[in-house]
Amino acid sequence: MTGSGYKSAWRSRLTAPDVVGVGLYGIRGRRGRAILTAIGISIGIAAIVAVFGISSSSKADLLAQIDALGTNLLVVTAGDTLGGDDSKIPVAAPDMARRISPVRSASAVAMLDTEVQRNKYDESPNGLDVYASESNLLETLEGTMTTGRFLDEETSTLPTVVLGSVAAQRLGITGLADLPTVYIGDQEFAVVGILDPLTLHPDLDRSVLIGEAATTTYLGADLYPTRVYVRTTPEHVDAVRSVLGRTVNPGAPNEVEVTRPSDALAARAQVDEGLQNLLLGLGGVALLVGGVGVANVMVISVIERRQEIGLRRAIGATRRHIGVQFLIESVTLTTLGGLIGAGLGSLITYVYAQQQGWTIVVPVTILGAAIAAALTMGAVAGLYPAVRASRMDPAEAVRPST
Amino acid sequence: MTADSVVLRLDNVVKEFPGSPPVRALDGVDLSIGAGEMTALIGPSGSGKSTLMNVIGTLDRPTSGEVRIDGVPTVTLSDAQLAGLRAARIGFVFQQFHLLEGATVLDNVASGLLYRGQGRAKRRAAATRALDSVGLSHRLHYRPPQLSGGERQRVAIARAIVGEPAIVLADEPTGNLDTGTSESIIGLMEELNVAGTTLLVITHDQDVAGGCRRQVTIRDGRLVSDTASEPRRLTEVGAAL
Ligand SMILES: Nc1ncnc2c1ncn2[C@@H]1O[C@H](COP(=O)(O)OP(=O)(O)O)[C@@H](O)[C@H]1O
Ligand SMILES: [Mg+2]
Repeated sequence: MTGSGYKSAWRSRLTAPDVVGVGLYGIRGRRGRAILTAIGISIGIAAIVAVFGISSSSKADLLAQIDALGTNLLVVTAGDTLGGDDSKIPVAAPDMARRISPVRSASAVAMLDTEVQRNKYDESPNGLDVYASESNLLETLEGTMTTGRFLDEETSTLPTVVLGSVAAQRLGITGLADLPTVYIGDQEFAVVGILDPLTLHPDLDRSVLIGEAATTTYLGADLYPTRVYVRTTPEHVDAVRSVLGRTVNPGAPNEVEVTRPSDALAARAQVDEGLQNLLLGLGGVALLVGGVGVANVMVISVIERRQEIGLRRAIGATRRHIGVQFLIESVTLTTLGGLIGAGLGSLITYVYAQQQGWTIVVPVTILGAAIAAALTMGAVAGLYPAVRASRMDPAEAVRPST
Repeated sequence: MTADSVVLRLDNVVKEFPGSPPVRALDGVDLSIGAGEMTALIGPSGSGKSTLMNVIGTLDRPTSGEVRIDGVPTVTLSDAQLAGLRAARIGFVFQQFHLLEGATVLDNVASGLLYRGQGRAKRRAAATRALDSVGLSHRLHYRPPQLSGGERQRVAIARAIVGEPAIVLADEPTGNLDTGTSESIIGLMEELNVAGTTLLVITHDQDVAGGCRRQVTIRDGRLVSDTASEPRRLTEVGAAL
């Protein structure tokens, strides 16, 4: 044959499964070393996953709490007038609020300038407030009773009170069995119910509530709302919030303040960011050190495996085949580390969340990002060793070691 | 000998290693090897034998001159093309065996076909046949560290012939073996040659060279003699080993 053309049938080829198989060859033969090499990456990934997992779980827990309490309750309070005096909320405010269509219920309370005592002649300060309340307050706050009933149409007109949980405790009233009474001024009031604690309204926990009609009848006080509680449909909280001030006090909308009690709790979900960033930084450093470790081990591996590289070149591997082999090896090592780290981080999150009584939340995006980071790390760490392996002179590489 | 049967042809091949002064390891080598030949390349240490094998095996490029394999001039081929040429047409046997320690005997032999893009099942089937022809059918699932030196070199030979290359290049194949084992390896190579394999065996061992019909001597990078003789057959001696 005198043909001088290069035969394309002679092209060096490696099937896709063999690319993978060859890439894993070095790791299969040195499993112990592979695990040790992957540990650095694992620690970094575990730290990052745990930080995100723990903060997500804690956040989720807080948000669940807030959700249970409801984020659709708004409170209107009297602000300051332009002149700096206390302003007043118009008496018609609750009715006005109820006219906003997404408002489910609204009820006002008016603080009375008086004190409550267990005994008629007792005057020791107890820090308890007395409020006139509409009979739909319990419904608006979605509160529950420890015992007895809330003020209704009938009891609102009679000398009866409902006690907040703290008020009941301070007045030494634990049940209704022995028909307890309290004194407001000289007037005796029968206790008809005790409220469960209201997480978002600790001020009401420390209060004694009287019906509006009874207030006028027995205490003769003016009834200007101190606060108006407004429960809206969940989807329209913001819309209601933006018009509520104008609606309840059209004359001076700036003199009322509209707040959402759940916002204070939600703010707590954000506070630990500084610590979180510090831990993330440490995780990042561990990851980087792990990556340098992998690069180091890979360089040593290339030197140690000179003869394997020479043999592969002799049996037909191209430079690219050799480079890809070492790149796959490096990426496999770091991805292995990433997987171990993701598992470890999830475990840490699990144990910690379990201790705190939280539900466990490890965001899938974080797991994905962590493994992607490990993979990228492997590609970067493996690049130099892979290039070095691929550039090795085959004649040099097959030479006997002396 | 017709042109069709020439598998290897070197024309005025020079290989110089840089340095001061530069080392001229090959100094104008002309060599032609026909299909089915078994040639010994003999020469003292440092005479250029390994350099010549690397150049013939396209692991190294000559400084000047032409190397043709199967009629194809190689000096203009790219590195990747040379790799493909090695995968398809050249088998190597090394003094230090160069087996993949982490792979079984079967997969070591199958690796001779790895970079040809063949599937694993096909490679293993061919490897099983090659191992049979070197007498190692009972060691398929052993790993190299469990084998004797002679067995390891048989594995390497099986790997070299598994793809039925145009030529097998063996550089000091018995250099790490004792005399008895060496003889059995030479015997094996003779058997393979009889069955049609073309071999170029590099050695400085006269006993090994004696097993080859053609003997080429190299000294200081030049071929100084090229003789053909009736080989002293070792097959009968080696068969017992
Ligand atoms: N990579 C190299 N760089 C420089 N000199 C080399 C290199 N390889 C071989 N040589 C030199 O080339 C000559 C031939 O070496 P070699 O082919 O290994 O001889 P042999 O295999 O016959 O013992 C020796 O002088 C050796 O030192
Ligand atoms: Mg040599």
